[in-house]
Amino acid sequence: MDLSPVLDGFGVVLEPTNLLYCLIGVVVGMLIGVLPGLGPAATIAILLPVTIGIEPVSSIIMLAGIFYGAQYGGTITSVLLRLPGEASSVVTVFDGHALARQGRAGTALGIAAIGSFIGGTVSIVALSLLAPLVAGFALDFGPPEYTALAMLGILLVSTVSSGHRLKALIAACTGLLLATVGRDGFTGAERFTFDNLSLADGLDFVPIAMGLFGLGEILYNLEERHRATQAPVTVANVWPSKADLRQSSGAIGRGSVLGFVLGILPGGGATLSSLAAYAWEKRRAKHPERFGKGAVEGVAAPESANNAAATSSFIPLLTLGIPANATMAVIFGALLIQGVSPGPQLVTQEPELFWGVVNSMYIGNILLLIMSIPLVGLFVKILRVRATVLAPITVLITLVGVYTVNNDVFDIVLVIVFGAVGYLMKKFGFDPGPLVLAFVLGSLLEDSLRRSLLMFDGNPTGFLTRPISGVLLATFVLVILVPPVRAAIRRRAASRKELV
Amino acid sequence: MTRNNGVQRRVATGLALGLTLSITACGGNLGGGSDAAAEDFPGGDPVTIYVGADPGGSTDLIARALADGASDDLGVAVTVENKPGANGALAARELSGEKPTGHTLMVFNGSLAYITPLAVADDQAVDIADYEIITGVSQDDYVLVTAPSSGLTTIDALKNAGRPITYGTTGVGTGSQLAQALLFGQTGIQSTAVPFDGGAPTLTAVLGGQVDVGAIQLGEAIEQIEAGQLTPIVTFAEKRPSYLRNTPTAVEQGYDVPVQQSRAVFAPKGTPQPVLDRLRTSFQKVFGSDSYKKFNQDNQLTPNEVDGPKLRDEWTANLSRYQKVVEQYGIDMGGDK
Repeated sequence: MDLSPVLDGFGVVLEPTNLLYCLIGVVVGMLIGVLPGLGPAATIAILLPVTIGIEPVSSIIMLAGIFYGAQYGGTITSVLLRLPGEASSVVTVFDGHALARQGRAGTALGIAAIGSFIGGTVSIVALSLLAPLVAGFALDFGPPEYTALAMLGILLVSTVSSGHRLKALIAACTGLLLATVGRDGFTGAERFTFDNLSLADGLDFVPIAMGLFGLGEILYNLEERHRATQAPVTVANVWPSKADLRQSSGAIGRGSVLGFVLGILPGGGATLSSLAAYAWEKRRAKHPERFGKGAVEGVAAPESANNAAATSSFIPLLTLGIPANATMAVIFGALLIQGVSPGPQLVTQEPELFWGVVNSMYIGNILLLIMSIPLVGLFVKILRVRATVLAPITVLITLVGVYTVNNDVFDIVLVIVFGAVGYLMKKFGFDPGPLVLAFVLGSLLEDSLRRSLLMFDGNPTGFLTRPISGVLLATFVLVILVPPVRAAIRRRAASRKELV
Repeated sequence: MTRNNGVQRRVATGLALGLTLSITACGGNLGGGSDAAAEDFPGGDPVTIYVGADPGGSTDLIARALADGASDDLGVAVTVENKPGANGALAARELSGEKPTGHTLMVFNGSLAYITPLAVADDQAVDIADYEIITGVSQDDYVLVTAPSSGLTTIDALKNAGRPITYGTTGVGTGSQLAQALLFGQTGIQSTAVPFDGGAPTLTAVLGGQVDVGAIQLGEAIEQIEAGQLTPIVTFAEKRPSYLRNTPTAVEQGYDVPVQQSRAVFAPKGTPQPVLDRLRTSFQKVFGSDSYKKFNQDNQLTPNEVDGPKLRDEWTANLSRYQKVVEQYGIDMGGDK
């Protein structure tokens, strides 16, 4: 492997501007991680227009920093206040807050920070090794491969994600429908455009993401009463003892690997992996009853996992151009705004961008490790900022911001419409994530499918004779078939037992 | 990045300059009619140039190069505003609604005037009769390329392939589609068009052998051609472009299909002639500068700096010629036509 682009990437990160954007990113990330409600997807969506004026490398470094920084921030409030700032830190509450009540808040935060750092680093190293490997196949990825990949992506997003499966499927189908709006790229026919030229190119991704994630989430949060914040526990001695470290080292290792694997899967990501890592640690523990009463492993495992997953979810985006979760979909949008189309070509065509962003994660994680402990008190204070102040400002930024992307008033209308849709979806328990992902992958799916059929002269067996698309489609079928078959086998085994 | 910074700086200084100037201009301009306004043009007010495409594409780069130079000559800020959508039709429609003062212009794509109308319904098409034309700018050539491994490096090889040829286009209603459809229609080669989303994806598809051939703008393919990763078959220019001397044109091979992308600066209908003249003088100064000539070189652009009436004739002739051949060879450019 040629190491020079990797080293050049470090050169890119160490430019003062990029270091600054990395710092801004992780600080903003920690802030929103601390604040309950506004998640990384929403924050990045709202900040999309800001990135127009920034160089591509710097803007993606900043947005990535927001994403993994939020995983750190969420931990702080989970441990100190029993108030998870992020969905991915919910499980950290159980043992983290228990430790804090035993006066060992410092230990919990220290272990979480170290676990996060190791989890993140494991993922970055794996990302650095895997991405060029995938890029080697770049030119073999033609329309048929993208068709299969998009199908698999949409299926996984709607079945693997942590929410209600049927609702996720409905949301994904809505996303696919929305993707059909606009001038047909193959025949020039107008679809659902109602003679509106603004719709001729289809609905733009940015206002949809800003509406569903940004405005929708702000509106939804206004309904939630703010819980009175408890006085934060004082934090002392954040360096965990040798015994704590020994006890949690296995959990950190397992959490990192599990998080890495789940992060790559579409629909996986930080939340799912933290839940899975906690459950796994509890199941294999000798004394599972310790969990929930202040077990260090109960903090170490999910925190390592969510950070590993946050990093590894960049792999499908940066190597294949397939976003694995909602936040990646928004970063996908940010790349498109910058005129960069993510895909297998990215590593070779934009090595500066690719390695700059990947290597910025090392720096970002170090910055987080350094900052997370001394700044705890400051971050807790931020919780006192009232939603009545924060919400109108964010709404204003969103609406002004979306206009600046295309200089089109129509986009403001779209944000408001999708903001209302996002609010209603959340209210009725639908995750807007699958909708946005299916929307992004929908046009890729349709275009690639039709392109493939043109290439194959209308013969669909062409998909099966090409090795990569064949394997992907076989996986697609397996994902559909395995759960019902396994359930059937289990049922039969159960009934046989009854007979005996 | 430097580009963005530059723009912001220009906007800032331009704004400051514009503010001071407009205060003085208002004082001296009282009672002046439209002719006086034309003489005073730009009168201290900034000029905006619309681009109907995303930042970073060739049209956008051309507009920024023009804006840079014109700003120095006019003494006001000249900013580029990207209004992507519908191949530029969105920006064109917006331009026609602007006041005809010369303060809002647009870098127009020839394909919008003489190729897109072949593919979309009449009410979606743009008619250049609805605009004033300040000046022609430059032309961009399409080149038919293939991967060296395909073995299809000449028109004859394509004819004798013994199977239908798949060709990648940069989209429906583009010069890339028209040029190839005409070529394959005239030679009687059995073929299927596979539209991609712009130049870069088409290039990738040809490189990866996903399609047999593809037509791409010269500037987008030149790097791979020089590196030997792509073999040029023909260009669709009228005469061999200076950037690709050794590749025959389709015309030389006996096919009547010159198709080029062309760009010009447009203004809303009714913009006074003195204002149009002032702007043309300003753009001609830009055309004459060394840095602009180098810009053309670097981007493989062929100057076509003709005046408004000449450009109108060129584009109108293109449209009627293409309409005729498309009909003659029974070429289907799109579903709505």
